[in-house]
Amino acid sequence: MNEALTLAQLRELFLENPDLEATRWLALSISVLLIGVVLWLVRKRSLREEYTPIWVAVSAGLVFVSLRLDLLRELTRAIGAWTPSSTVFFLGELFLVAICLNYAVRLSRAGTQIKNLAQELAIVRARVDALAARRTEAREIVART
Amino acid sequence: MAPHDAEQGPARRGVLVIPAYNEAPRLAVLLAAIAAQALPLEVAVVDDGSRDGTSEVAARAGATVLRHSFNLGYGAGLQTGYKYALQTGASWVVQMDADGQHDPRDVKRLLEPIRQGECDLVIGSRFLEPTGYAMDPLRQLGRRFFIALARAFGFRVTDPTSGFQALGRRVLELYAGDAFPSDYPDVDVLLTAHRHGLVVREISVEMHAGARPSTLHGGMKSVWYLYKMMLSLWAASSRVPKA
Repeated sequence: MNEALTLAQLRELFLENPDLEATRWLALSISVLLIGVVLWLVRKRSLREEYTPIWVAVSAGLVFVSLRLDLLRELTRAIGAWTPSSTVFFLGELFLVAICLNYAVRLSRAGTQIKNLAQELAIVRARVDALAARRTEAREIVART
Repeated sequence: MAPHDAEQGPARRGVLVIPAYNEAPRLAVLLAAIAAQALPLEVAVVDDGSRDGTSEVAARAGATVLRHSFNLGYGAGLQTGYKYALQTGASWVVQMDADGQHDPRDVKRLLEPIRQGECDLVIGSRFLEPTGYAMDPLRQLGRRFFIALARAFGFRVTDPTSGFQALGRRVLELYAGDAFPSDYPDVDVLLTAHRHGLVVREISVEMHAGARPSTLHGGMKSVWYLYKMMLSLWAASSRVPKA
């Protein structure tokens, strides 16, 4: 038996490993917990509604995968991974990179908005000060005459 | 493209923008020197969140004070001045640093080509003619690098890091946008102006050694500056096709 064949057989062994009910229940529990935490954060106004779809989608994805572990195995086979768990980790890392990039864009936008507001405030304050000074000056002139 | 700031009437006015961050002692000296020049400009000091009474010094000297509630950066300070000038109907701006490295006696000379409508942006250059300005080798190397880089993008300049500039209204409108950097607006924004077809000119000025630490003075800040400037140059050149 050559080495390549042995590795292929070994991979099939990993992929055909029967699903553990414990794994399924753990994934389901985490999904439900994640949805619960998201709803709780929205309720106490720590998380705005527009930021929730991504987390609800992740939770829903986890529920789906927990119920259909066979599909996860097929995906693992398709992308050339050895075990379903490594596929989950890979997808998780992709998700983290995407969400970090998304938040970096949102932060950049928020930073620009804060800068513009601070600049506008500085200008408005200067103009209000100038108006107040002019008003005081006018009052003094009126008082003198 | 022809510059758009030819003098059209007596109502045209300008603003001298001075961004300042914890510059109270030097600013007092500078404002006194500016007052002695009797410049036909409104002096606006942008206090970038100072904690040393910079605003009070500026107000006592009769300057308009634009005070940021917190520190936003040198570029944001300049931009506040541009926005103020635009909102108050000014036609041009002269910008100078608060640390005393720029000489107020050069302001009129810097502004004249803008007033005459000969160009849109004038840079006060330390290196156009020999002025005896001493720059340490590392900064000199950085300057040469950015000159070469700007030239590669089709823009010729001898002093890409000079903060002593006069700007016409079209430049102000361009620089008031969100693409203007909050930290170091140097050769990248000059290239943006050039790419928009604005006429940029340099005139020779004398400068004193600045008290503000240079961004090209070694350390991690210089590395960051180099990286950021190269990225900004690329972005500036790719956003706007060459005019």
